[in-house]
Amino acid sequence: MVIKNSWEGLKNGLVPMLGKEMRGRSRGWRSPVLLSFYLGILIAGVILFLWLSFERMNFIMPQIGLILYSLFIFGLIMLISFIAPAIAAGAISGERERRTYDLLMVTKASLTGIVLGKWLASVIYLLFLAVTALPVFAVVFLFGGVPPAALGLVFVVCLAVGLGYGALGLALSAILKRTQAATIISLIVVFILIFGVPVLAGIIINSQPPGFMTGPPDMPGVRLTGPPWYVFLSPVIAFTSVLPGTGGYDRNWGIPLVSEFMNMIIRAVGMEQMGQGDHAAYKVGSVYAGMKETEPEGLAAWPPWARFTLYQGGLTILSLITAVLVIAPLKPWTIWRTRRSRRKG
Amino acid sequence: MIKVRGLKKNYGRVQALKGLDMDVPAGSIYGFIGQNGAGKTTALRILAGLLVPGQGLAEVAGWDIMLYPRAVQEAIGYMPDFFGVYDDLRVGEYLLFYASAYGIKGPRAGKLRDDLLELVELGDKREAFVDTLSRGMQQRLCLARALVHDPPVLLLDEPASGLDPLARVEMREILKELGQMGKTILVSSHILTELANLCTHIGMITEGALVRQGVLADLLNNTPVRKIVLRCACPTEKAVKFLEGWPGVEGINCQLHQVEFGLAGGLFQVAELLKELVNQEVPVTHFAPEEQTLEDTFVQLAGQTEV
Repeated sequence: MVIKNSWEGLKNGLVPMLGKEMRGRSRGWRSPVLLSFYLGILIAGVILFLWLSFERMNFIMPQIGLILYSLFIFGLIMLISFIAPAIAAGAISGERERRTYDLLMVTKASLTGIVLGKWLASVIYLLFLAVTALPVFAVVFLFGGVPPAALGLVFVVCLAVGLGYGALGLALSAILKRTQAATIISLIVVFILIFGVPVLAGIIINSQPPGFMTGPPDMPGVRLTGPPWYVFLSPVIAFTSVLPGTGGYDRNWGIPLVSEFMNMIIRAVGMEQMGQGDHAAYKVGSVYAGMKETEPEGLAAWPPWARFTLYQGGLTILSLITAVLVIAPLKPWTIWRTRRSRRKG
Repeated sequence: MIKVRGLKKNYGRVQALKGLDMDVPAGSIYGFIGQNGAGKTTALRILAGLLVPGQGLAEVAGWDIMLYPRAVQEAIGYMPDFFGVYDDLRVGEYLLFYASAYGIKGPRAGKLRDDLLELVELGDKREAFVDTLSRGMQQRLCLARALVHDPPVLLLDEPASGLDPLARVEMREILKELGQMGKTILVSSHILTELANLCTHIGMITEGALVRQGVLADLLNNTPVRKIVLRCACPTEKAVKFLEGWPGVEGINCQLHQVEFGLAGGLFQVAELLKELVNQEVPVTHFAPEEQTLEDTFVQLAGQTEV
């Protein structure tokens, strides 16, 4: 009975909310303008890059596909990282500002259903944006050189970024009550997660005295343990294992600026192994027993994109639970406390 | 249908409800009246499950609001004092959205939408965007939304606020119709004339506590009569002498053939006084107590509370 009611409540929240949000997003002038702006930026970037390449070289470089690919991915992940929380940040606070919040709360829709509906609507919109970018992506394959598996990984990471940061924006929207505040704070938090975390990790690690990271007794002072766990909260670290031109892929073929930036971060956070700089980045957890390399175990063996995806999953669940608890007029513990006191009374 | 006992609610140091007790009988139209800030909205929001009371007990349709919030939500249709609409939805879509949130889907939802729009006289606005409706139409649409799951209890917070006179009359007629359909309606307002023409029961709240509740007619009948005009066929000395000795009579103002006075009692006391005047052979040619209004009753009760 309880399961049936919960399922009904979930459906009553999720289905209408998803439908309403998607209908709302597809109406009016905002949606086509945003879409045109987004695609305009992507197309302009590609055209500018191709024009500069041909203008300077007068011939087509064999690695142009890879270079374009890395440029494109970097742009895409930045767009999704900042659009996802910005879209979701108005989801719940917007209901409060429009004064429709109370009307929703008194329906039979469960709070989980409402939150999931809002969240999925923003995620689907993001996916829609990603799909509309596919024709631009196709230019990469015109030049070749990018394995389809790498493209798959990129989409996994993009999805993790969209789900996680969308949920984060939603939670902040529930907590902060004002859309403007929620948007600004969520963008700041995302900026810190993307760039702040690896830079901060780099500063912390490099400011430590040599030898703080424990290694085998016969090799004191040698970095052997890999980077701290929290650097994998950043999608930039995740992309070291999927973006060409970084330590984790083929470091000679990336676009100079992005590759250099990535490699700088890799070095800073201690992901580069002794004499193993050209190895795949997911071997960062390698531990040496004497001079013999052994494969890392447990979470350390996971490639950066997988660890990032795992953490984003955690961020998503935590954010959604927070949002549900914050918007609940009657908190579960209040009901429990009342039940207990009534039983005693 | 609604039972409230010792309900308390604080906002920081401000005590919004100071032990509210209230009984709303099934099938009644209960007018919940009080000044701004008296605690009407707080009480309604608690009953709707949107606020947690600090203390006390409240039941709606037999369900404790703190223990069975889902059952209470199923039993109530709530209309807040200020509400917004989704400006990107059409009127029909708006109702279907809420119907779906109550688990009503498919052809049943479509029929329900049409019936409700008919009830609130918005049938011809089905395809209009919600934000293009006038304030009165939006109020009626919000009422239709509150009825979408056919709840036995309606909690309406100032449903007529901001409406022009014609829209108020329309709203009142719809509420009367709902009352005839057997709904229990708890309606808060400070437009007392509206409630007097609509309600069967009245509860008066001042500073977070109920000062009076009951059947509207009884309440009016028991309210002290502010002014009674008595005219006699001969000079009024005898009548004045009699009135001075009658308990509760105050403020006697006499002219040659006419006396005006107040009586600290309701209409039953007025009838008693008239009977005695006639028994005392006072030649009464005109005896007219000023008609009591809900406003008089409320002002007197509010005044007593302030003292």
